[in-house]
Amino acid sequence: MLSALDRRHTVAPPGYSRWLIPPAALAIHLCIGQVYATSVYKNSLIAHFGASQTAIGVIFSIAIVMLGLSAAVAGTWVEANGPRKAMFVSACFWAAGFLVGALGIATKQLWLLYLGYGVLGGIGLGIGYISPVSTLIKWFPDRPGLATGLAIMGFGGGAMVASPLSRQLLSYYDAGYDPGNAGSTASGAALVWLFVTLGVGYFLIMMFGVFNVRVPAAGWRPAGFDPAQVAAKPLVTTANVSAANAVRTRSFWLLWVVLFCNVTAGIGILEQASPMIQDFFRHDRTSTVSVAAAGGFVGLLSLFNMAGRFVWSSASDVIGRKPIYLMYLGVGMVLYVLLALFGQLATALFVLLACVILSFYGGGFATVPAYLRDLFGTFEVGAIHGRLLTAWSAAGVAGPLIVNAFLDAQGKPGTLTAAAYRPALFTMVGVLAVGFVANLLIRPVPERFHEPASERDGARGAQPVTVERSGS
Amino acid sequence: MNEAGHGQRVRLVVSWVVVSVLLGYGVVQTVITAAKLFTH
Repeated sequence: MLSALDRRHTVAPPGYSRWLIPPAALAIHLCIGQVYATSVYKNSLIAHFGASQTAIGVIFSIAIVMLGLSAAVAGTWVEANGPRKAMFVSACFWAAGFLVGALGIATKQLWLLYLGYGVLGGIGLGIGYISPVSTLIKWFPDRPGLATGLAIMGFGGGAMVASPLSRQLLSYYDAGYDPGNAGSTASGAALVWLFVTLGVGYFLIMMFGVFNVRVPAAGWRPAGFDPAQVAAKPLVTTANVSAANAVRTRSFWLLWVVLFCNVTAGIGILEQASPMIQDFFRHDRTSTVSVAAAGGFVGLLSLFNMAGRFVWSSASDVIGRKPIYLMYLGVGMVLYVLLALFGQLATALFVLLACVILSFYGGGFATVPAYLRDLFGTFEVGAIHGRLLTAWSAAGVAGPLIVNAFLDAQGKPGTLTAAAYRPALFTMVGVLAVGFVANLLIRPVPERFHEPASERDGARGAQPVTVERSGS
Repeated sequence: MNEAGHGQRVRLVVSWVVVSVLLGYGVVQTVITAAKLFTH
């Protein structure tokens, strides 16, 4: 049965619209983006298991680590088997993660939650994240930034869907749960039904992507697209580099550093957003920013994080990948300095600076597949992307560690002020400076790493049908 | 328009409507939350 999902059975027939591919990719990313909404039911899990914050927080950490590991390990498999099988496998793991997690909640076995949502769900996350990337790039050789920006915007949007949806489902399953009260927790039964509902619902939505996704026939190109024009841009190659060779190039590791630095700096703010805005406007131990307003600030950051993924990644098709990363990192440094020195002067200024910084954070995620396409070609760009995502896992550990270590040294939560954040923020400026230099050092990949010319159509495993038609 | 073309157009509309509704729900809910920054 699984052979029906193979790449060779998913080659698009003549006349297939490429605009069916972005919603297929979004169907996957909107579901797996739920991983950033786990805080909604964290307190309920703590109460149900009688466990510590750390014991429950580990579930999210396992999922993110498994995301990086599975994307890196399964990247080549995803390329070889095509997006449909990868999306199907991702949906199975993601849904199984919720169902095994539900079993863990129902039986009060925390290790089952680690295994289910953390390990199985994390594998679904990693495979799902990279599954549509190379397909999108092959369908949109003229606008790769826009195409991958759309999909990866969905990952940001997934949390925005899952947070309110989870709150509403929990209050539906447990009449005693008040989503407006931070101290209210849902019952174990409500959590079980939430996990079952999300698992089944996400599986069905992801099947929608599985059903619609197709790979372009070999040699297909959109009407009016001239590959020679793309190749004429600096740092853009028409050659192809395998994933095994890509990790042996200097440019791959420089880009790894670029992504690591950009994500580390962004996570520093994102992870601390709610207490940070309250601390910046604290006078005489009382903050002028209420808890509700701080929650609104977090919501606003989510919007800018998501919008940045689409806007900046699309803009990179015009500006170029290297210049736009110089902007993310260079302008980001200036914004961090302004935030550290003047952020406490006005709430509007603080919010504006943080929102632009978060838009650069999102943009950095969404632009990186197109940057990889420019450097390494389309041959195994999904697999290379998977390997690069280990930078995300590393930054997910480093970013919060840096900020929390500095803040712990400054005082207790609830007593901090803007000055307490300056060491952490200036450290982030340094981190961004490292990324800025790494980006400057990126050069075209030497010819010795290129694949032989026969692999250069970039349509691995597709049937050798050359169709040149419109469809944009 | 032939039947295949019509079918594809329907599929396109349905696909974009599904993801737009999902994303739209998330954006509207988040805007409601974000508004608290300016009202509280």
